[in-house]
Amino acid sequence: MKRLTTVVALGAVTALALTGCAKKSGDDTAASSGGKTTVRVLISGDTNVQDLWDKGIVPGFEKANPNIAVTVELDLHGEHDSQNLAKMAAAVKGNSDSGMDLIDGGFVLQAAQAGFLAPADPSTVPGLSDVPGDIIKAGGGGGIPYRGSSVLLAYNSTKVAKPPQTLDTLLAWIKANKGQFTYNSPKSGGSGASFVTTVLDKYLSPADQQTLRTGYDQALESTWDKGFAELKSLNQYVYQGGVYPNGNAQVLQLLSAGSITMAPVWSDQFISGQKTGQIPATIKATQISDPSFTGGAAYLGIPKNSPNKAAALKLASYALTPAVQNVIATTIAGYPVIPLAKLPAQTQEIFKAAHPDTLRPTYFSQVTNDMNKAWDDKVPGK
Amino acid sequence: MARRLTTNVLLTLFLALLVVFILGPLLWLGIRAFATSWTYPNLLPDGWTLEWWRKVIADNQLSTAVQNSLTFAPLTVIVSAVICLPAAYAFGRHDFAGRKIMLVGIFATNAFPKMGLFVTMASMFYALGLMQTVLGIVIVHVMGTVVFMTWIPAAAFGAVPRSLEEAARDAGASPARVFFRVTLPLALPGILVAMVMSFLASFDEAQGTYLVGYPDYLTMPTQMYSLVLNYPLQMAAVFSILLSIPSVLLLALAHRHIMGGQLAEGFQLR
Amino acid sequence: MRRTRVAARSSGQPRAVLGFVMALPPLLLIAVFAGLPIVLAVGYSLGHTGGLNSVTASYAQHQHVATSGWGTFAAYREMLATGRFRTDVAVTVLVTLLSTAVVLVLALGIALNLRLRGGRVAGAIAALGVIPLFIPVVIASWAILTFYSTDGFIRSVFAQVGLDAPALGFKVVTIVIGSVWTSLPFAVLMVSSGIQSVPDAVIDAARDSGAGLLRTTRSVILPMAFIPIVIATTFTAIGVLGSFTVPYFTGPNSPRMLGVDIQNYFAAYNQPQQAIVIAVTIFVLASGIAVLYIWANFRSANSKDL
Repeated sequence: MKRLTTVVALGAVTALALTGCAKKSGDDTAASSGGKTTVRVLISGDTNVQDLWDKGIVPGFEKANPNIAVTVELDLHGEHDSQNLAKMAAAVKGNSDSGMDLIDGGFVLQAAQAGFLAPADPSTVPGLSDVPGDIIKAGGGGGIPYRGSSVLLAYNSTKVAKPPQTLDTLLAWIKANKGQFTYNSPKSGGSGASFVTTVLDKYLSPADQQTLRTGYDQALESTWDKGFAELKSLNQYVYQGGVYPNGNAQVLQLLSAGSITMAPVWSDQFISGQKTGQIPATIKATQISDPSFTGGAAYLGIPKNSPNKAAALKLASYALTPAVQNVIATTIAGYPVIPLAKLPAQTQEIFKAAHPDTLRPTYFSQVTNDMNKAWDDKVPGK
Repeated sequence: MARRLTTNVLLTLFLALLVVFILGPLLWLGIRAFATSWTYPNLLPDGWTLEWWRKVIADNQLSTAVQNSLTFAPLTVIVSAVICLPAAYAFGRHDFAGRKIMLVGIFATNAFPKMGLFVTMASMFYALGLMQTVLGIVIVHVMGTVVFMTWIPAAAFGAVPRSLEEAARDAGASPARVFFRVTLPLALPGILVAMVMSFLASFDEAQGTYLVGYPDYLTMPTQMYSLVLNYPLQMAAVFSILLSIPSVLLLALAHRHIMGGQLAEGFQLR
Repeated sequence: MRRTRVAARSSGQPRAVLGFVMALPPLLLIAVFAGLPIVLAVGYSLGHTGGLNSVTASYAQHQHVATSGWGTFAAYREMLATGRFRTDVAVTVLVTLLSTAVVLVLALGIALNLRLRGGRVAGAIAALGVIPLFIPVVIASWAILTFYSTDGFIRSVFAQVGLDAPALGFKVVTIVIGSVWTSLPFAVLMVSSGIQSVPDAVIDAARDSGAGLLRTTRSVILPMAFIPIVIATTFTAIGVLGSFTVPYFTGPNSPRMLGVDIQNYFAAYNQPQQAIVIAVTIFVLASGIAVLYIWANFRSANSKDL
């Protein structure tokens, strides 16, 4: 028995010692001491957004608010969205701390819909007073729009001299140039989703499009049939006879490597990719018309029981100041959501041609979920 | 003679294919850790460098993840052993009502895809105050090791010859002494194999760890996805090699016992 | 051997109670943290949206709510009526069967070679087959994808001699390759342990009576190693059936394996109830396979105890 006790005690001591070794990821930058509030930001998206927060937003905010610290975590491509949403939902329902104070990612709208987020309007987030009402409304009551972007048609200028100008000519080009085009599966990223939405919209009346953008109308989704038939017919003309990569970045890689000649890409990823040299200068981008590719706002959300709600609201409002909006525009080429007139003339010049105020928005979040599923059901491998 | 030669040729061919099949992907990825860049269709990289190793080691977040993985795995093994080994002894040595049903039940809960349980698990872990705690993560990891830690040692305990224990008892040894001097040493290889399997299971767990640990505790597997897509392929290769080192060490340590059939014994329902 | 062990298990009344109590801790752990969530999840799939399930229910789309006391099968009916789901079930079963068959053939080959020919080379082959056990699945999937992809090893080798080999990345075949790679070690260990334990005397006797290599294998070795082979088969099949990482990394967008579907229904489509229907489907299929395992074990126990 003595030996058993020794063994158990030894195990317990080792276990306790090991417990001390587990390291919190924030330990090194620990700033929670000394009466400081820490805002924990979760990004579900691509690396360019993390750069924006790390370099463009956080340093300025911390300087202006010395008693608030900000930590930023990236969940690449929203790989763990189901865990994070589950966790936040359970935390809000059980009134516990979810470990996130401010969320920048796709599932914000889902959470807003379910009423998990702190209500966002100009009274709680002063910066919102400069943002058009329609965009705020699409946030579902808790989503705070803070930047916009649109999808462009990128093409390899060494192979294509005159890119298609309309959706119809683009579709004709795809069919005439087998294996030279692809887009990512809509669930894995917005650029593919925009291409799909645009093809679907081709067959929808403007009124129906508007309905699907501003609310959930399941019955109307049956009008997609023609669009999906069109997308299905493209399978054989797409890269390797129907390979749809996962994620915006993979499409950009294929395009940069010369494996494909044309693809829909996010404006911000394209512009910042060219800046860093990841996308060669020979790749150019243009917008099509009839209809144009969709774009839209990215939303921030604050869980309604976040212990650091006040500081998080402050940070969200800070993201809407002209200074930060200018940073967003210049570093990741995101479209400002506040009127262009409030930004420096240089920045206004960049966006003159892009017309961020006339963006064609994407579908409502629940409609997008259904579209992702319908595409998976009806297009690849058929 | 000719037939024998054919068999030998076929066997060599089979062996060669198997080597390519098993080791090929590992080497192909591993070489990248030392490569500057690689142009298709060359069989070797364009140049050699250790740059990627420096980058990985300099990255603070990655080294935290490595440290966490190396902490949680042994911790899981210890906790799992304390909880499961007495049960394994009972399964191996005692006959009681529902014994087989319990054994099968332990396995059955493992066969339900965990992804369907996140929301309920999150609610429960919050209610019990286990979210973002070391204990919470250890519970998630231990759950994945229970099958190994009960089944394999149970078979090992069951296989200890009673005659040896009786002889020791006849010689005047106390029950505790018999257990530690006779039973435990004979069952040790099985327990060792169970520990290795548990270590590996804990080392591989990503989904549940993220649910419970985020954002405070990130381990290597939870970081692997971002690594693979986020960093240059070469850095992912470096990370893969690092992630494999503990496993390979364990392989060297327990190889004899695992090949010796301890693992196989454990999975027969008796 | 086996008979003596079974007989030696003590079953006196007080000891039986002690044994039961000692066996409880891991069972309680599993019951609370896995069993209870499973029961709740199955309840949710039948339309029970109250209690702990209300959290999920508050954001789910296309949810079917129970109208009667026990629930509703509406979510199951909806899924079964979806062509895509039926295809994915079929593909999952196909991948499972194919992978299990290949794994079994390889494991048998390795084990028989080790038993009948022996030697250092045979031992090395067996050791080789166990290596994947020690490589984390994420890494394995990633390594396999790069090995067979457009600019991977296979295509590079063929390109050296001017041939154009097919790119195997993101195909159903890649899932099978990955599944075989990751499942091989367990099968090799089980099968070779079973075959190793066939006594020399039995094999020699069969050979002396004029039986060839094939007949000795078929009528002597395989029947004697029956249980370990069944265990290897069932565990491999159950593992492949519910796998997520391998098909997620290496497989195509369509058709998809059920393990990946669960993730999509949860995150990309926001339909958690349907996701759980898929989880239950996997569980039911796995239970079907597990019956084979239990049957084989009981069959052997009975034939030996009588």
